[in-house]
Amino acid sequence: MAESSQTAEQVPVTVLTGYLGAGKTTLLNRILSENHGKKYAVVINEFGELGVDNDLVVDSDEEVFEMNNGCVCCTVRGDLIRIVGGLMKRRDKFDGIIIETTGLANPAPVAQTFFVDDTVRAKTRLDAIVTVVDAKHLPQRLEDSHEAEDQIAFADVILLNKTDLVTPQELEEVERRIRAINRFAVIHRTERASLPIAQVLDQGAFDLQRVLQREPAFLTDDEHEHSDEITSVSFEVEKPIDPERFNAWIGLLLADKGPDLLRTKGILAYANDDRRFAFQAVHMIADGDFIGPWKEGEPRISRIVFIGRNLNRPQLRRGFESCQAA
Amino acid sequence: MSATTAPNFLLDTRGVHRALDAFVVGCAFDRTGRTAAFALGDGALHLVKLSDRENWTRVAVHDGATLALAPDIAPSGFVSGGDDGGLRRIGSDGEMGDISSFGMKWVEHVASFAGEKGKGGLLACAVGKHVHLFDQSGAKLKQLEHPSSVTGLVFDARGKRVAASHYNGASLWFVAAKTDSPRRLEWKGSHTGIAISPDGDNVITAMQENALHGWRLSDGQHMRMSGYPAKTHSLSFTRNGKWLASSGAESVVLWPFTGGGPMGKAPTEVAGGDGVQCTRVACHPTQEIVAAAFNDGLVVVAEIASGRIAPIAPPGHGPVSALAWSPDGAQLAFGTEAGFAAVLDLSGR
Repeated sequence: MAESSQTAEQVPVTVLTGYLGAGKTTLLNRILSENHGKKYAVVINEFGELGVDNDLVVDSDEEVFEMNNGCVCCTVRGDLIRIVGGLMKRRDKFDGIIIETTGLANPAPVAQTFFVDDTVRAKTRLDAIVTVVDAKHLPQRLEDSHEAEDQIAFADVILLNKTDLVTPQELEEVERRIRAINRFAVIHRTERASLPIAQVLDQGAFDLQRVLQREPAFLTDDEHEHSDEITSVSFEVEKPIDPERFNAWIGLLLADKGPDLLRTKGILAYANDDRRFAFQAVHMIADGDFIGPWKEGEPRISRIVFIGRNLNRPQLRRGFESCQAA
Repeated sequence: MSATTAPNFLLDTRGVHRALDAFVVGCAFDRTGRTAAFALGDGALHLVKLSDRENWTRVAVHDGATLALAPDIAPSGFVSGGDDGGLRRIGSDGEMGDISSFGMKWVEHVASFAGEKGKGGLLACAVGKHVHLFDQSGAKLKQLEHPSSVTGLVFDARGKRVAASHYNGASLWFVAAKTDSPRRLEWKGSHTGIAISPDGDNVITAMQENALHGWRLSDGQHMRMSGYPAKTHSLSFTRNGKWLASSGAESVVLWPFTGGGPMGKAPTEVAGGDGVQCTRVACHPTQEIVAAAFNDGLVVVAEIASGRIAPIAPPGHGPVSALAWSPDGAQLAFGTEAGFAAVLDLSGR
């Protein structure tokens, strides 16, 4: 089963996050009203704001549940497990699910739900976390809340919205701040959340096949590494990885630093194996599988990316390097 | 099972079946046992009169998916809840009426209690954090609030209490209490389904972490039943209360509730060996017999004491998602995620 793909039967799920007033509802209204020939089930928590008539809108209270699995940061959205189960009973009526979170929501429980619950895993796949930020107010939000930073750190796609309300210099500065937190997300600059829907939906960002596909050229800047700010770091090694060493290292690392590690992604070249191994984690919850073979002539470089707080770059680098096969 | 002795499935000789066009969410017999119903993910209810079982009646009940089905309080008919916020009553001839409407909210669970001699019947439904209680006429008696969304709902055998599972435990309410304060049964974690033993002394919940939890009400004893490879979606006590049957493993897992309860005892497993997950269990209304259904479509009936199996339906019609006995235990109904639905006559001939 490990190699077979069930994605055709799995419903894609897009998670929409963003601070109050950033433009989430505007984007959602766009997705629902544009003529793209697809139908989406939408899970929202503030029904009044949505102006679109859609019989697949589900009004939900966010219920974040702790798991009793010994993992201190493992939380899931209990309401989503129920709602996904309910929606699957009418599976033929829609093409995807969009989950809107409240402005102050931490995206981790939503993401973890798609790793932890067997039924949700079997029937759906987390497609991407899309975060809408307000170009004008983001700097202030980053000063006064952890959540705004978390939402950017978790994002696969970021709508840098309300660009018409700032000067070009301010826009450059706010984009630089986003990049300092998460250099791997795709950023779209928008006004009134206007962009082709295809740039938001069906991204396959959580697909192990595409884990690091969008990774930009490696940056070497080490700015913004003080204490509790979120940063992202990445490493690569050229010698093949010893799976046992890697598992021992990453297992300990996630157990120890899981609360600080928001997202971890890697593509690994195992010694004596022609297939690429894709790995990803949200806090302590990890998932990994072999994906297609390395291409002919492609350099077999193993890469890993961390997005989180208190990242100790030299320590992480030494740890990853120690996983190379002897 | 060897290939040369293929089991003689009863589906064709004893059953009627249909390929319906949507996920079978639930099935039930009404209290007379004369009509079976299948509730579907497209909001329809299919009624099968056993006196005329070749002619099924389709009734469009919900605008969306049906989420819950139960026999009505009245001798005949059914009650269903849907994701259109409707709680409706459907007679055995297909006539339909509204009991209540909850707007945007889903009606996720429905339970009923027949009452005695035509009196004292009760109906309950769960909508978000609330359980709504109705009397026989459909008049609302009360609304019971819980700390989080209700995930399971059940009356005890005498209709005195109603129990609801939720995050961090379950709540047990006396239906006739003048002031509504529940007995809170606490256990950390997410509880996703509930059952009460026939003697009313044991409340059992299924948990997100692939385990069951129980409370013995008489002395407050906790019971932990673990070791499942998957979540338990289906729980059923035998009529005599000796066994609790459960899904979530590659066999029917039966916990003994005799001689002090399941603590420290290994469960009995029946109908295992095929490496396929059990999805539904339903204990026979009178005998120590359990019907079990699997993820590949297999349905069997097992005698608990001997472990002997009678094959009912072969694999191939999709994961079984609904399973129910008629009140007299002579008929068995089941339905699958793929929309296959069947009623079998298992009475002695």
